[in-house]
Amino acid sequence: MRYDFTPEQRAWRDEIRAFLRQHLTEPLLAELREAGNEGKGPLADQFILALRDRGYWGIAWPAEYGGLGRSAIDQWIFVDELESAGAPMLPLTVTSVAPTIMRIGSEAQKKEWLPRIVATEVDFAVAYSESEAGTDMAALRTRAVLDGDEWVVNGQKMWNTMAHMATHNWVAVRTEPDAPKHKGISMMIVPMDAPGVTVQPIYVWPGLRTNALFLDNVRVPRDHLIGERGMGFYYAAMALNFERLSIGSVGMIRRYFRELVAVVRELRVDDQPLREQPWVRERLARLAVDIEAARMFGLETAWQLAQGGVPAAQSSMAKVWVSELAQRVSDAGSEMLGLNGQLHPDEPAAQLHGRMQWLYRTAPLLAFGGGTNEVQRNIIAMLGYGLPRK
Amino acid sequence: MQLTPTPEQQAVKDAVERFCQEQVTPERLVAWEREPRRIDAACWRAVSDLGWFGFGLPEARGGSGFGLVEVACLLHECARGLIPRSVIDAIRGGWALAQLDAHAPELTDVARGAAIVTTALDERSTSEPDAFATTVQTRGDRFTVQGEKWYVPNGLSADLHIVAAREAKGVSLLLVAGEHCERTALRTFDGEEQAVVRYAATPALRRLGPAGDAAGALRALRRQATALGLAEMVGGMQAALDMTVAYVKEREQFGQKIAVFQAVQHQVADMATAYTAARHLAWQAITRMAAGSEEGMELMHAAAFIAPAFKRVTWSAHHLHGGAGFVVEHPLHYHSERAQALCIRYAPEARALATIASDLLD
Repeated sequence: MRYDFTPEQRAWRDEIRAFLRQHLTEPLLAELREAGNEGKGPLADQFILALRDRGYWGIAWPAEYGGLGRSAIDQWIFVDELESAGAPMLPLTVTSVAPTIMRIGSEAQKKEWLPRIVATEVDFAVAYSESEAGTDMAALRTRAVLDGDEWVVNGQKMWNTMAHMATHNWVAVRTEPDAPKHKGISMMIVPMDAPGVTVQPIYVWPGLRTNALFLDNVRVPRDHLIGERGMGFYYAAMALNFERLSIGSVGMIRRYFRELVAVVRELRVDDQPLREQPWVRERLARLAVDIEAARMFGLETAWQLAQGGVPAAQSSMAKVWVSELAQRVSDAGSEMLGLNGQLHPDEPAAQLHGRMQWLYRTAPLLAFGGGTNEVQRNIIAMLGYGLPRK
Repeated sequence: MQLTPTPEQQAVKDAVERFCQEQVTPERLVAWEREPRRIDAACWRAVSDLGWFGFGLPEARGGSGFGLVEVACLLHECARGLIPRSVIDAIRGGWALAQLDAHAPELTDVARGAAIVTTALDERSTSEPDAFATTVQTRGDRFTVQGEKWYVPNGLSADLHIVAAREAKGVSLLLVAGEHCERTALRTFDGEEQAVVRYAATPALRRLGPAGDAAGALRALRRQATALGLAEMVGGMQAALDMTVAYVKEREQFGQKIAVFQAVQHQVADMATAYTAARHLAWQAITRMAAGSEEGMELMHAAAFIAPAFKRVTWSAHHLHGGAGFVVEHPLHYHSERAQALCIRYAPEARALATIASDLLD
């Protein structure tokens, strides 16, 4: 057993750090704070092009699809360093959709889509949920009917975040209306510029934008159905599993925590150093332990991927742990700041640029999004330990 | 990175697991409650013949020469399989002496199970060397120990005591023969053999390390003891989790297996999540300590997480077993007792949190 990185892995981490020192500039960090979750601005675009030019969009992909062919552990090191430094988050296109296409797409589909993703020509929003099909995703009603060489798609999707900026949508549709509900779904790529596609904004609590998506007689080429017909529920589950690896990644929380500790070390409250308060010391120490535990889930999932597996129970553990940890960090962090902890992120006097308050409002999303934590606990029990469904 | 045991480490674990399945049955554990050392003489000999007491001792002294990680693998499986604590404590004692003096001639007897070493460090209400009342007196080139040590593991039967005592302005570690001490049994809630040991001008065999300057060696000894304690705790957690998973799959209520109930599944999921993090935190700390590659707080992170997590896992295990796990014949309660006993001795949460807070804030 060994938990230390190899010299090669340390060299890779140092390469990423050097890249971040050069490209993750103060003006870019300021632009990211302004942009909220949309994350797009001229400096962020430049940063993403620099990532792309280094091949960092496809670190663990085979070289034949434009990747660097490195291990899943190198990919994890990369994501952890980016998050920990506060760089723009990797999009679901790269963390969830692409790894799924790589596993389930036909050879022609992989050659068609993966190089375009690596080249940042293609960027996806993901569309699984509908207003009547949330946790029960298999109840979805958006349907696609084959008409000659094209699918005709009709329906409505919810929580289609980034759809207003994406070039394509990764959509779960019902193609086999007579099959049992889990067996009648397919995954389809819908170009956002196709006639009949409409995006309507939905604004949510932490000031984030997401969208409703309307598909009205949208015509999609036949080969845009990825993988096999009727397997879409399982493909979506796989893509969600990859999405959970991102949610379960603790780099961002570690950075917020580090910044919180730095502020607590300096703050004086009632003319006493805040860091001498016993409750502050105990709570921060507990959070430090829980953050280190979260890092262990990241290591475990990266290790499983590097061994050729698709971690299911482990990525659910990571997702449950990190989403609930985000609640505890933001709760403790905003409370420790005292009256300053109630200030809005836009208020210049807010400590830490109001990050604790932003996280306080975002953390509930992490727990119910990407598959609710109840479903994750069922997955851990059933897939990890063989507890029966019925 | 290599997050799974090497083939050699796995072989150690498999051998101990097989032994425990065959020899440490629930019936035997109940029968052993009547034995003073919670194990019969034949089983003690069997363990000795397998070489467990010499496992981490130098080959020149008849040991197998394994290092900290392998000894931790051994104790992980011992704890998982409920090997009595007297055996585990004897393995720990031999390991401690070998760390302090790899050439100690006594190790030859220790390796073949003919002598038991223990550590007599703590006093009635302190574990802090600065507050120890036990002292060393020197007369010419002979020296004696004066004082009282409490909670000494294997305290009634140990042949050799590693004693921490104040000397000059510091602390010394000494080797003392157990036969010259007055020993009084302490009854412990998990059945671990412990004693109060009184040293009344008891002659020491020799010093282990420099006079009055063993604080660093004592700290290292305790850090290793904590690392081994973490391995024991993770082994116990695994056992409690596994027996609970097996039980909920078999127990029927309301006409179905209770494993189908989400309220049950979610408790199992939380147990499994805690166990998974605990396992990695423990082995990260142990392997880095062995490799000399610690970055800082690994051991304290592991201690602060694992001790309370082990206790929570045993409480959930009791809850899901209900009365079936509460009868004395069921082995679950041994793990539950050890969870708290090991926490108190090797990984008290409050102390770990205080150390982490200092590292963060001071």
